[in-house]
This record gives sequence, structure tokens and C-alpha cells, in this order.
Amino acid sequence: MKNSYLADITRGIFQENPTFRLVLGMCPTLAVTVLLKNGLGMGLAVVAVLTCSNLVISSLRRFIPEQVRIPCYIVIIATFVTIVEMVLQAFVPTLYAALGVFVPLIVVNCIILGRAEAFAGKQPVLRSLCDGIGSGLGFTLGLLLLSLVREIFGNGTILAETNYAVQLFGLNFEPMRLFAQPAGAFIALGLLLALTNMIFKRLQID
Amino acid sequence: MPDFKRLLIIVLTLVVVTAVAAGLLAVANMLTAPAITRQQEEEYRAALKEYFPQVADFKTETLEEDAFDLVYDAAGELLGVMVTTAVQGYDGPISYNLAVDKEGKILAIRIVEHSETRGVGDVIEKPQFQGQFIGKSYLDPLQPGEDVDTISGATISSSAMIDSIRRVLAVVAENFLRLEKEEPFDITAVPDGTYLGSGEGRSGDIVVEVTVAGGKITVIEIVEHGDTPAYMADAAAIIPPQIIDQQTLDVDTKTGATESSEGLVEAVLDALTRALNPEEGGESDEE
Repeated sequence: MKNSYLADITRGIFQENPTFRLVLGMCPTLAVTVLLKNGLGMGLAVVAVLTCSNLVISSLRRFIPEQVRIPCYIVIIATFVTIVEMVLQAFVPTLYAALGVFVPLIVVNCIILGRAEAFAGKQPVLRSLCDGIGSGLGFTLGLLLLSLVREIFGNGTILAETNYAVQLFGLNFEPMRLFAQPAGAFIALGLLLALTNMIFKRLQID
Repeated sequence: MPDFKRLLIIVLTLVVVTAVAAGLLAVANMLTAPAITRQQEEEYRAALKEYFPQVADFKTETLEEDAFDLVYDAAGELLGVMVTTAVQGYDGPISYNLAVDKEGKILAIRIVEHSETRGVGDVIEKPQFQGQFIGKSYLDPLQPGEDVDTISGATISSSAMIDSIRRVLAVVAENFLRLEKEEPFDITAVPDGTYLGSGEGRSGDIVVEVTVAGGKITVIEIVEHGDTPAYMADAAAIIPPQIIDQQTLDVDTKTGATESSEGLVEAVLDALTRALNPEEGGESDEE
């Protein structure tokens, strides 16, 4: 049994990584990953929402009638997103300002509804919890990799706007601004997808 | 009947789920609201410090719905006013701060909260829109298309802001800075007739007789004055023709005879004002 819980977590991170394998939730993925800080904040917000919504949806799965399951899921997800939004606004206002409209948009992040439909609506509570954590972490991993690449090339820094900011190439470095922009997001994502595809093929995980 | 029962279950489930969600949100709101308010106050203080670097103290006054923070420096001198107000935008209220210096000029606009369309109405937050207001005062018309522009595609959001800023500026100037706007005198409202009026010249009063016909000033005659004749002659040569030509009291004064010129304008304004308010004197006002 224990093995199966662990498998639920690792599956979300690797075999069914939302960003690199399922290619879900691309809108926030592309939009917020300008800086590592934003990617991490968004990722953790999704972990929180996904874990809570999976937990609740799974425990209510016997009570929610088939016909109205989607509206119920959306209400549950929206509730958690709003709570996360309030908490961010109250305690981490800079992150709240940086993430902007993408926090409320977690409601329609397809990973969350996707996991609710594909997993939490059918599986027991604990497994759904593990799946939520795993998929959330997988999404966070995707955001972190993408924002790391984009921040290094687009800004010449790591962890800018935090207490641990590192200036990589000296002050005279002229960063490739393209990577901080939407077009650069697509390019960086494409390259990362190619790279992860190659790795997965080599390791024959797929 | 089973159909009805199933329907009932569906409805009840939705009701219960949404009710519980609403309850949870109310609790979350209660827990986070104080922290959010504190956060916003801190941001407001920081902005105040940025717009009025010498700020040492401020006093809050409210007028209708708006809050006015009168900002003072360490010596107790008024530096300006920071207004907190709101206006109905395209999609809900836009709340913002307007920083005005002691001359009634706009120092900064700070949008606190809005729900305008992202990428369209949120232009009100950007320098492209806000920049055109900086340095403008209650003396400027602040009319869309005249001295400030609305942003195409975001007409409702931007014209709401323009109207609100114009209103707030006037309130600040009038109530807190004691600055008064001279309304351009509406000559067309004056009934036909001949009116006397007086103004203060360099030495003594200047009395003029103004004839209005068809909503226009047709004749300005100087009845008496105590100024040096040469100066008054200079002023009389330039002021009345300008007023009659342009039908406005906003005219250039004669260099070297400023006081006589201004006295003349004042006397004409006095005559017209009396014409509009006959109970205070008026047509039969003879010396």
C-alpha cells in the first residue's frame, strides 16, 4: 500500500508531469515564469489549491451527483483559490502583485480540474491527496525549470527580487530580453520539452 | 417521482456545496482582512513619502465620500494634499489617490484598486495615461480631447478618470488650498443696457460705463479716474479695444501701466457683475 502512495506522488512529478508530459496549464506556465520567484510562488499556490481540492473532491465523490460534478468541482476549486489569493495578499503582497491575474486564473488551470476529473473524482481520499501533492510538485518543477532558464538568459540573475539574488554575469552584462518576453517563453518551453522528451526516451520511462 | 427526487438531490448538492464555500470564504476574509488593510496602509504611507519627501505629519479630513490628507512638513507648513477617492469605471469602482501640491498641481496619480479589463482599461495605471496629468492644476480645463486624451479602446475607463480628477482637483483647490478659479465671465448673459462699475487704479478708483447690446460689449467709456493721465491714456488705448474685439476680460495688460490696465478690467467686470445682480446696485447706480 505504501508503495502505491509513493507511486501516486512520483507519477505526478515524472511520468505524468503536468508541464512536460501532459502539457497542461500552459497559460500560467508561460506567463509568470519571468523570474524564479514568480515561478516558485505560482507553483506553491497550485500545490496548495490542488492538494486541498483533490482532498475535498475525493471525500465528496460519493455525494456529488454525476450530472453536476463539474460545477461542484469548480466551486470547490474557486473557493480554495480565493482563500490562497487572500492569504497571498495579506502576507506576501509583493508576490501577490507579481502574480497578478494569474492567481484567480488558477481556477481554470486545467491541471486542477484535470486531476479532479481523472483522479480525485474516482479514487480514495489518501491516494487523491498524494496525487494532488505529486501533480502540484510536478507543475512546480516545470515552472521552476522554465523560470530558471528564462531568468538566467532574460535577466542575467538567479532568484532576483529576493534576499538570495545572484548576479551571474557581472553588472555590465546585457541580458537577452527576448527570454523575459512571451516569445522567449515559448522558445524556452519548446527547448525544455525537447530536452525532457530526450531524457525520458533515454531512460525509457515512457 | 424518482426523477423529481434525483433533481432534488442535484439541486440540494449544489446549494450545500456553494453555501459551505461561501461560509469558508467569509471565515478566510475575516482572518485576512486586517492584515490586508494594514498592508495597504503601509503602501499608502510609502507613496505619501515618495510624493511629499518632506512629509512630517498629516491630518485627515473627509468631505462627502472622499478622504483628504493634508500633508505638512516639519515646520508645520502645508505641502499639499493627498486625496483618496473612487470613481465608477467600466467594470466596478476605481479607487485611487491623487497627490496635489500646495499650488493645486497634480504630483502623482496612484491607482489603489480597480477591476478594469486587463490589457485595455488597465491603461489608467500606466504612465502613458497618467503622465498627461502631471503638473496640471485646477486652472486647466482637463477636458478629454482638449488638454488630456482618453485612450482609444478604453474610453469609459479613461474618461471616468478624467472627470473624477477634474472634480477632485477643484474640491482640493477650493476647500483645502483656498485657491479660487476665476470663472470666465459670460458676457452673453448680460442684458442690454449701460452699466457703471468701478475698479482700483494706481491712485483711486476708476469708474467706467459699459454698454452692452445683443450680448456684446459695444462701448467702454472711462468716466473718472485718479491715475497719471499719461499712464491711463496708455491703458485706455489698449484695454477697451481688446475687450470689445475679443469679448473677453482675459486680456493682455499694457506694460508700464499695469495697475491702470488691471483697474480698468476690474471696473468693466464690476459693471457686468452689477448688471447680472441688479439688487446690489445695477443700472441706476449713479455716482
